[in-house]
Amino acid sequence: MQDSTIENKDSVKTDVIDEAVERGLERLTPERIAGVINQVLAKETGARFKTYIDTCMRCGLCADACSFFLSNDRDPKFSPAAKVKQTLTEMLEKRGNVSKDFLKNMVRIAHTECNVCKRCSMYCPFGIDIAYMMLTVRRICHKLEITPLYIQDTVNSHSATMNQMWVKEDEWIDTLQWQEEDAREEFEDLRIPLDKDGADIMYSVIAPEPKFQAGLIYQTAVIMHAAGVNWTMPSNPGWDNSNMAMFTGDFEISGRLAKAHYEAAADLHVNRIVMGECGHAFRSVYDVGNRWAGWRMPPIELVHAIDFFHELLTTGRIKVKEKYKKSVTLHDPCNVSRGRGLHDKAREVVNLLCDNFIEMTPNKEHNFCCGAGGGVINCGPPYKTTRMINNRVKKEQLEQTGAEVLIAPCHNCHSGLEDITHHYGVDMEIKFFGDIIYEVMEKTIYQGGV
Amino acid sequence: MNDKNANGRNAWDWQTEKKQIPVKEWESQFNWVEEPHVSPDGEQVASIVNSDEAEFSICVNGDVWEDTFEKAWSLKFSPDGRLAVLAANDEEWTVCIDGTEWESRFDYIWGMTFSSDGSYLGAAIQQDGEYGVVVNDEPWESLYENMNHFTLSEQGGSAAVVQVSSMSQGDIDGFAGGLFSLAVNGEPMPQTFMNIWDPAFDSQGKHLAFTIRKNRSDYSIFQVDTAWDQTFQSAWKPAFIENDTSLVAPVRTGGKWYLYKNARPFWSNVYEQLWQIAVHQEKKSIAAIVSDSYGKWTVSQDDRPWTNHADQMITDLSFSEQGDTLCALFKTNGAWTVVANDKPWDLGADKLWKPAMDATGEIVAARFEKQGRYHLAVNGRVAPGDYDMLFDPEISPDGTKILIKSITGGIYSRQVLSVDGLI
Amino acid sequence: MNAFIDFITGPMVWISFLIFFAGVFIRVFRLAQEANSKEKFMFSYFSWKYSLRSIFAWLVPFLPASTRQSPVFWGISYLFHLLLFMVPIFLLSHIVLLEESLGWSWISLNDSIADVLTVLVILALVFFAVRRLNVPEVKFLTRSSDYLFILIVALPFLTGFLAYHQFFFYRTMVIIHILTGELMLILIPFTRFFHMFLAPISRAYTGSEFGNVRQARDW
Ligand code: SF4
Ligand code: SF4
Repeated sequence: MQDSTIENKDSVKTDVIDEAVERGLERLTPERIAGVINQVLAKETGARFKTYIDTCMRCGLCADACSFFLSNDRDPKFSPAAKVKQTLTEMLEKRGNVSKDFLKNMVRIAHTECNVCKRCSMYCPFGIDIAYMMLTVRRICHKLEITPLYIQDTVNSHSATMNQMWVKEDEWIDTLQWQEEDAREEFEDLRIPLDKDGADIMYSVIAPEPKFQAGLIYQTAVIMHAAGVNWTMPSNPGWDNSNMAMFTGDFEISGRLAKAHYEAAADLHVNRIVMGECGHAFRSVYDVGNRWAGWRMPPIELVHAIDFFHELLTTGRIKVKEKYKKSVTLHDPCNVSRGRGLHDKAREVVNLLCDNFIEMTPNKEHNFCCGAGGGVINCGPPYKTTRMINNRVKKEQLEQTGAEVLIAPCHNCHSGLEDITHHYGVDMEIKFFGDIIYEVMEKTIYQGGV
Repeated sequence: MNDKNANGRNAWDWQTEKKQIPVKEWESQFNWVEEPHVSPDGEQVASIVNSDEAEFSICVNGDVWEDTFEKAWSLKFSPDGRLAVLAANDEEWTVCIDGTEWESRFDYIWGMTFSSDGSYLGAAIQQDGEYGVVVNDEPWESLYENMNHFTLSEQGGSAAVVQVSSMSQGDIDGFAGGLFSLAVNGEPMPQTFMNIWDPAFDSQGKHLAFTIRKNRSDYSIFQVDTAWDQTFQSAWKPAFIENDTSLVAPVRTGGKWYLYKNARPFWSNVYEQLWQIAVHQEKKSIAAIVSDSYGKWTVSQDDRPWTNHADQMITDLSFSEQGDTLCALFKTNGAWTVVANDKPWDLGADKLWKPAMDATGEIVAARFEKQGRYHLAVNGRVAPGDYDMLFDPEISPDGTKILIKSITGGIYSRQVLSVDGLI
Repeated sequence: MNAFIDFITGPMVWISFLIFFAGVFIRVFRLAQEANSKEKFMFSYFSWKYSLRSIFAWLVPFLPASTRQSPVFWGISYLFHLLLFMVPIFLLSHIVLLEESLGWSWISLNDSIADVLTVLVILALVFFAVRRLNVPEVKFLTRSSDYLFILIVALPFLTGFLAYHQFFFYRTMVIIHILTGELMLILIPFTRFFHMFLAPISRAYTGSEFGNVRQARDW
């Protein structure tokens, strides 16, 4: 079954039908195509882009960095530099006069065959940022309005509701109140304090939590309560720092989201934003959306869950009753390891919580992406089969560990890894740090004095 | 601020030096007591309290409201000193003010907002899966599939971005066709857009302006009844000026930000970022938070940037009542301070709130927190003493006294001090 | 003929260096100018500390993971780049020429060692060419101009080697040697050879972003 899919991969890849891409292409005229491409390449790129184009020696060293290349049996079309060659180089040489078939391939390459994970920047001798190049291609797709359907719908949700999943304003608050009520079974005076002006921490989650995984909010509430943290969550939009717009090249919406997020935190006068276990959302407000808005670095300190759990565990605010017994391995999410250097802390957290930790290799900054990142999984079902083929390396990496439990401190990684374990029949349970902490912690309230 | 408010302030007790309420004691009477809120005049301190499973009430100065609620949240004092909370019994939500419930009931209610004199209270509502607004117990007649950006005018008018046609899941073409309109007092405008953000009323509450997205890449401004012809790469919330006859808005073209007025370029400087416009109508002065070089923030007043800059963030830009003082909060290196008329204070605060100013702008008072303790600063000087908790300071209408509302050691105090002693 | 030789060993050398330096200066200047006008934000992330950290990490053979992944290529590549500069700069006959005209001199390589090193440079270039032809992911990226570059680099070394041994057409070899040497110098600012200047710049920026913002290593 698996072999046959791999054999047929070329036919599978050309067979993918994405209505939004098809309809978008139909509407395009040659003038519009050339106009948009040349506008983006001439006006929106600069010295950095030129340097990357001019410096690439076509040495192919980046190939081995890319999980797409490795998963596709070293097919040269999947090397990072090859993705540039098949998209940007040709657009530059033809001065934007490219065909619709070319554009269709371009959407597929930029949107589904690159996780914008930046691993290749660490393997290219010149540090060429292929992820930036692919995002530039996606910017062109955005302006040509040929972005894949599912991710475009997500961006639409962001623009209209300031969250990723069309969560309505009342649904958000209602979910928090319902989780608070449930969690009072464990701590009768537990609160999820809404809009608490002057709290120390604003906790932020991404929209899939209230939509599908409200239990995660429950767990966090228990952890926060037990740790005696002065925290709050905003009732108004701005609570979601996820951001698919940054992955479709819709930088204007991406920046608008970052603005809404930091304004929500500023309105509550908090010292820090602590965010749940999500990688791309971290990147969105640490490294991307904030820049478009003009904030060089986060204007309010932004702390990823890994960092925060590390703090709670090492300061004794959360005590471990009994360490987790099953063998665990850790998937380093690109956006907080290569994106924020939290991999060492993540290991310390694992070791504080679990008895039996098995490393996955390569790891830390050199990890392989889960295969879902960079908006790839968000392009939706039409691309799922090819995504599974493109994720083979990750599956092999998982299998080699032989661990029973896979810790993935990122939502996106979770979904991607779930797909991999189901598709390839890897017998592994996937968990967040929050799941494990909730399971092993002492459910007593921290009394201070440390 | 209008007369009603000023009169109200005159009537406050500016004589009694100190009043105290032991709030800590409440804890022994209830399962738990939520964070306290204090009335503007400092006479009342109130908290949501829980006495049993799903049994909430409000404790004000130690007295508990008669009614109990299954759920209660969003406790707030209005500017005129009424205490309001969003509360539910039997899954029906309403607003309860000073212990009296509104007649209307909803499936959900949130976003409670007051007009600045406190005479209007508005909120967003959901009823049978449809959305709208209620103002002073009068809900909109028509409700909508979805609603965002609810805003309330000083005169009690309400506006919100509403979804006027349905969209099947993933219908991006339908979305691009424009599903959203602005509903004013419940009635939608005829125009629809791909996106609408940031509705802003004029000072009379008669007209509105807002930011729109015409298609995936083109943004513009909608002024009163038509959209500007020009399109931009992005735009932020507009503001009415010159007695509401004109409109200014920050717009982005060529990757830079400009201030436009009535669809024409207005300020001549070009900025990396420009937002949050503050207007003083009588002084004909316009100010905005700007970034004049990447990563550096300042305030631009009438297109003249201040010399002081913040590395991280600027918030809460505002004019004093007569327009002589322009004030903002600056954050640099993790520390907040007040900057008034381009003069920075030395606070090094971890948290800082928008200052109170007297009408002339000569007295500026702000509360801040540093290393867990609260302090008051007046005209740049940190007043002696610190508190467990400090609420917004108030300045007497004649500008001679400051009302300090604080909690220390579980005791709430209302204290009136003379300004002279503090500056 | 003598006049021609005088020209290419005299004024033409100066002209080549002039074009080289002017070209490099103009390109770097234009690059900085463009960055300043369109992507000024990049300067705010630039950090000397992390730029140098990254550049040095990449100069240490077999420190970066990438170099350990392809040790043969990297071994040859490190050596090639070193020799590319070392051989011409420390070659006795070059130093003699320089001393005659300017009176400058410095230590030189023993001629027979230089001879071996020249052969190594040529072999490395052969390796690069063979790799371009045979390794699929490299072949896919390769264009005919890449072979031309290899040839342009090879020619001065090859002709120098042949001239030194005086196998045949000594005079012609010397002339081609000088001309291709000058050609390479002139081409540096205008072709992909310019990576010798861009590489540290792009490495520095990536190093700054990784170190300064993302607090991670980039090697
Ligand atoms: S950014 Fe990641 S996925 Fe994209 S080309 Fe580079 S290594 Fe491959
Ligand atoms: S490793 Fe760098 S220089 Fe080599 S082909 Fe890849 S991007 Fe180009």
